[in-house]
Amino acid sequence: MTPGATLKIDGCSTLPQLFLKKCRERGARIAMREKDFGIWQSYSWDEYREYASQVANGLLAMGLQRGDVTSILSEDCKEWMFADMGNQLAGGISNGVYPTYQPRQVKHALTDSRSRFLFVEDEEQLDKLLEIEADLPLVEKVWVFDWKGLRDFRHDKVAPVEDLYTLGLEYGKENPGRVERIVADGKPEDIAVLVYTSGTTGLPKGAMLSQRYAMYQMSLAPEFFYMSDTDELLTYLPLCHVAERIFSGWLPVATAATINFAESPETVAQDLVELSPTYLFAVPRVWEKFYSRVTTAMSEATWVGKKAYAAALAVGYRRADKLLAGQELTIADNLMFLLADRLVFRNIKKLLGLDRAHGLLSGAAPISESLLRWYLAIGLSVEEAYGQTETGIVTATRRGVFRLGTVGRAFTGVDVRIDGETGEILCRSFGQYSGYLNQPEKTEDTVIDGWVHTGDVGELDDEGNLRITDRLKDIIITAGGKNITPSVIENELKFSPYISDAVVIGDQRKYLTCLIMIDRENVEHYAQTNAIPFTDYKSLCARREIVALIDEQISEVNNGFSQVESIKEFRLIDVLLTAEDDELTPTMKLKRSFVNKKYSMLIDSMYNG
Amino acid sequence: MTTPLLELRNVETFYGPIMAIRGVSLTVNEGEIVAVLGANGAGKTTLLKTATGALNSRKGKVLLDGKMIQNRDPDWVARQGIAHVPEGREVFPFLNVEENLAMGAYNRNDKRAVARDIEAVYGYFPVLKELRKKLATYLSGGQQQMLAIGRGFIARPRLLLLDEPSLGLSPALCAEIFDIIARLNREQGLTILLVEQNANVALKVSQRGYVMEVGGMVMDGDSDHLLESEDIKEFYLGKKEEGVRGRRRWKKRKTWR
Repeated sequence: MTPGATLKIDGCSTLPQLFLKKCRERGARIAMREKDFGIWQSYSWDEYREYASQVANGLLAMGLQRGDVTSILSEDCKEWMFADMGNQLAGGISNGVYPTYQPRQVKHALTDSRSRFLFVEDEEQLDKLLEIEADLPLVEKVWVFDWKGLRDFRHDKVAPVEDLYTLGLEYGKENPGRVERIVADGKPEDIAVLVYTSGTTGLPKGAMLSQRYAMYQMSLAPEFFYMSDTDELLTYLPLCHVAERIFSGWLPVATAATINFAESPETVAQDLVELSPTYLFAVPRVWEKFYSRVTTAMSEATWVGKKAYAAALAVGYRRADKLLAGQELTIADNLMFLLADRLVFRNIKKLLGLDRAHGLLSGAAPISESLLRWYLAIGLSVEEAYGQTETGIVTATRRGVFRLGTVGRAFTGVDVRIDGETGEILCRSFGQYSGYLNQPEKTEDTVIDGWVHTGDVGELDDEGNLRITDRLKDIIITAGGKNITPSVIENELKFSPYISDAVVIGDQRKYLTCLIMIDRENVEHYAQTNAIPFTDYKSLCARREIVALIDEQISEVNNGFSQVESIKEFRLIDVLLTAEDDELTPTMKLKRSFVNKKYSMLIDSMYNG
Repeated sequence: MTTPLLELRNVETFYGPIMAIRGVSLTVNEGEIVAVLGANGAGKTTLLKTATGALNSRKGKVLLDGKMIQNRDPDWVARQGIAHVPEGREVFPFLNVEENLAMGAYNRNDKRAVARDIEAVYGYFPVLKELRKKLATYLSGGQQQMLAIGRGFIARPRLLLLDEPSLGLSPALCAEIFDIIARLNREQGLTILLVEQNANVALKVSQRGYVMEVGGMVMDGDSDHLLESEDIKEFYLGKKEEGVRGRRRWKKRKTWR
């Protein structure tokens, strides 16, 4: 794996080096935008560097040593980026903590990482910390981004972030060039960030990602991610998640693309329309949501509108299927599509805020083929990428090369092979992670002879395209001995606008069943149009008509599968779950193992009687 | 299952282009007190006005005893046995107490029974008897509220709608009025749909409750159960934990469980 040792971008071998260099080149160019009292404010690369340097100098003044960990507990915002980059400029390791974490989870993330310094977003996040303060003897100082509501609050260890900026400014004047020297001394094997993996079983593990890991992902930007300096991104997934970190944190440093922070996780849909980004990385849940919105809007459209949509979609699907089959498009195909686009699809894209988007990427979870086909039909080619925290992003589909159902070929520099015995996908690259913090035995279980065992099962076709079957541990073996890959069925279920998430169950059981999380908005809308009375979420889930509606959706999905793969029974989860709940990952996916345990009574009820 | 006395099904009411209530469903059974809680602008008053026909719904049904009564004239609805005690009392200021009560009996012609009911009102609200010849405009807020409730009762409705009876009353008066509301229900078998911001008194007097937020129902259940709910405690009863710092400004996210 020697080529990695020399991986350089513009002569730089670490992110901080590249950052300082690029900031100098870009100067007053806009690096990021954030909404402040309803107005988008921009921040240039100069300002980004200035703030990050103040953070770096401030941390040095506080005694930060190379390799010390600084944690950030906040929603995405510009200060998050300043703190993260500043910390790395000073030689620190950054650890993002999910703002949806409960105090006990925050405690684990801070103690396991031995964080010395901490940034928190506001009063609310600070309170989490104060609750567990006694258990965090290692945390020396906490800076708060937003001091609102804390005017009369006094605490030795807690201060507004502005204090750090001021301290950094003074320290920088007294010690000119210190940050630059530290940056120049940085090595590719230095750990850049810690990413705690969601940990569906046991406590989250801190994956150590090196500077080389970051550099490798950045080196892929133009060729494999199609990102350039004219791109506008929307930052809305938690920056603690490796995917958002790659797309919003790292790739823009390499490409000069501009990032825009969503106002809040609840306003992403409006932010999208307002910004109309040119580049969007999204998890399947988001792509499913867009599709559901269009379907619902169309069910409310006028007669003419519905007919036009159906006609346009027929044209779109015909074109999409030709593209997927690798057939040539005729002039007539193109003309018809142009017409359909002008009359119908363009409006749909405007409604979603995707009318300017050229770079669309799905990842972090498997996505349904039907969904990708629909996007292609309306003229949006969504590429699929594959990777995980431990490997980085290692494959993606290429533009104009349609291999539906695969996640594309391995990037240059990555070796992918399939374990002959288990079918597990193994990856090896110089850009992979450096092991789990404090858990060498877990690292040894995962990285064997340099190959990362991904825990996913898949196959490679003769062109080298990777097809993901499922998580190894999620594969269901029924009592009848049949192997079933639940995610394939789950994805088809989620394609229904009324189903937000599903967990298929059936390991060691006679038949398959599933737990369903309904799409609240669309099901409420359905209830309202069909005069089905309900009050709260629970009562909605209890309505006979709604159960029948879901039953219908499931039957439809069952038609596409064989007898053993069909769902015989189902139950609705009648609690409206939020990201704070243990059932969901921070990216709002149901955690299979947790759900299996928590709802075991409900599950058993599907097998008894 | 018995037919509920009042049932709203997926009711949507608009003020011009603005949807004030979006798909609200609710039931009131005979003999119950049902409370609807919600902040300002949640759509509580709109809900009552839609039930009485003062506002027309664009979608959904209002059923009294299983019969559709939505979008009918308010006076017709009143004759079907729904009395509405509006927010802010709305007594007739230049009629005296007795005349105000008599207005409640507008649709009745059994004079003797009316006289008996007026005496019953005086029994519940002795102060009104003392002031029977006084113009309503000279009454205090609490007395006006009593008068408005009495006027609603005189109509001998099957269902009494009360819109924020606690509005502008001292805690002592408020307790007194709610005490009488409970008695009217118990002793006269009066079914009551009560809209309130004062969750504490409303949930104590009622058997069941609903919570409205921005035009929709977010929670419903037995009142005892609602009183124990974390969200109700924090957002309606003002009983939030002080938090680690002894003062907490931020609000928890509502989950309505």
